[in-house]
Amino acid sequence: MAQQHTVSGELIDEVTLTLEDLARACSVKPDWIIERIESGLLADGSPYVANWRFTSHDLTRARRMCQLERDFEAVPELAALAADLIEENQRLKSRLRAAGLIDDADGPS
Amino acid sequence: MEFKDYYQVLGVSKTATAEEIKKAYRQLARKFHPDVSKEPDSEQRMQEVNEAKAVLSDPEKRLAYDQLAQQYRSGQDFQPSPEWDAGFEFSGRGFEEADLSEFSDFFANLFGQGGRTRQKGRSYQMRGEDRHAKINIDLKDAFHGANRTIILQVPQVDSQGRVASREHTLSVQIPKGIKAGQHIRLIGQGSPGVGGGPSGDLYLEIHFTLDSQYRVDGRDVYQTVPITPWEAALGASIETTTPSGMVRFKVPAGSQTGRKLRLKGRGIPGQEPGDLYMELEVVLPPADTDKARELYKTMAREFAFDPRQRKGG
Repeated sequence: MAQQHTVSGELIDEVTLTLEDLARACSVKPDWIIERIESGLLADGSPYVANWRFTSHDLTRARRMCQLERDFEAVPELAALAADLIEENQRLKSRLRAAGLIDDADGPS
Repeated sequence: MEFKDYYQVLGVSKTATAEEIKKAYRQLARKFHPDVSKEPDSEQRMQEVNEAKAVLSDPEKRLAYDQLAQQYRSGQDFQPSPEWDAGFEFSGRGFEEADLSEFSDFFANLFGQGGRTRQKGRSYQMRGEDRHAKINIDLKDAFHGANRTIILQVPQVDSQGRVASREHTLSVQIPKGIKAGQHIRLIGQGSPGVGGGPSGDLYLEIHFTLDSQYRVDGRDVYQTVPITPWEAALGASIETTTPSGMVRFKVPAGSQTGRKLRLKGRGIPGQEPGDLYMELEVVLPPADTDKARELYKTMAREFAFDPRQRKGG
């Protein structure tokens, strides 16, 4: 039986995520996130812990890297490289769509 | 609950080596990876595959599972006896709680302190898992903000141990200015906590429904506007629908098909609003009456015009 809730959410980016928020959303420990930031694979690599606030983009990227590492036993650098390529592919597809050159938005982007 | 054949899930034989199991897992992980998979149930399949791999790639758990599997077939009703694992010595390398909550009851019953300790534990408390879902909204909702009812399918294990989906209906406030790829966090709408622990959060990743009229790149919006040859040639002030409503703008004289006019700040709103691009498309009136044909013939006579010559073709 369906339950109806009326909820008003937070728009991530207007509100940014803390280290703990991001780790929980990815089902990893905060250390996993910290190691990848310090290696320059995630976020902007800022060494100032107090400044660590995460955006929608960071959330998508961290989840993708986490899955790639787990599914393929990939080293973090390889997962980050695959994530870079997927992001680049999405940027290009988005521009091609905007230019009216492709309309396959149904497929994975 | 039903007995699960983990070998069948991974598509390997019961005598598969650790390397064969790893290989089968990687192939399936690639097939069902959300960034490349076109399978509609890829997420659920991937969950099963992860569960099977968690058992079969651990020699101790695989041995214990094999022992048990001799008595059951896949899908058969299954009730593990409390002492099913007697005689096995586990290294104590348990599963992360996140694994247990992701995996089926069948798995939790066998390998988690799962079902058993949770029922017994007096002071055991855990926050619910965060959940994630992608939703499609209309572009217009990003321009104006909206209240939308969304229905999400939540996979759940029923009392028979079968995975079935439950509908989770939510009425969500879509904030004005949202972009594709951004997330809305709904506090406490994730998985319920255990032992009185708080619920997790639900993250909604926003995408726009495909629209034949508008195309979006970040906060910039593109639309094609059909115009007449005389509007293109002579220039005109024309009115057209846009995601933010009717807009009047100037077509400069001498425009051609493909010309893009930028309406600054008329894209998706925000601190730095996007732009709206009007891509002009000159549409010829049909020559389907004597009068129309006569007008085209007049043009042919009166214009000394050969577009191929001009382009050097």
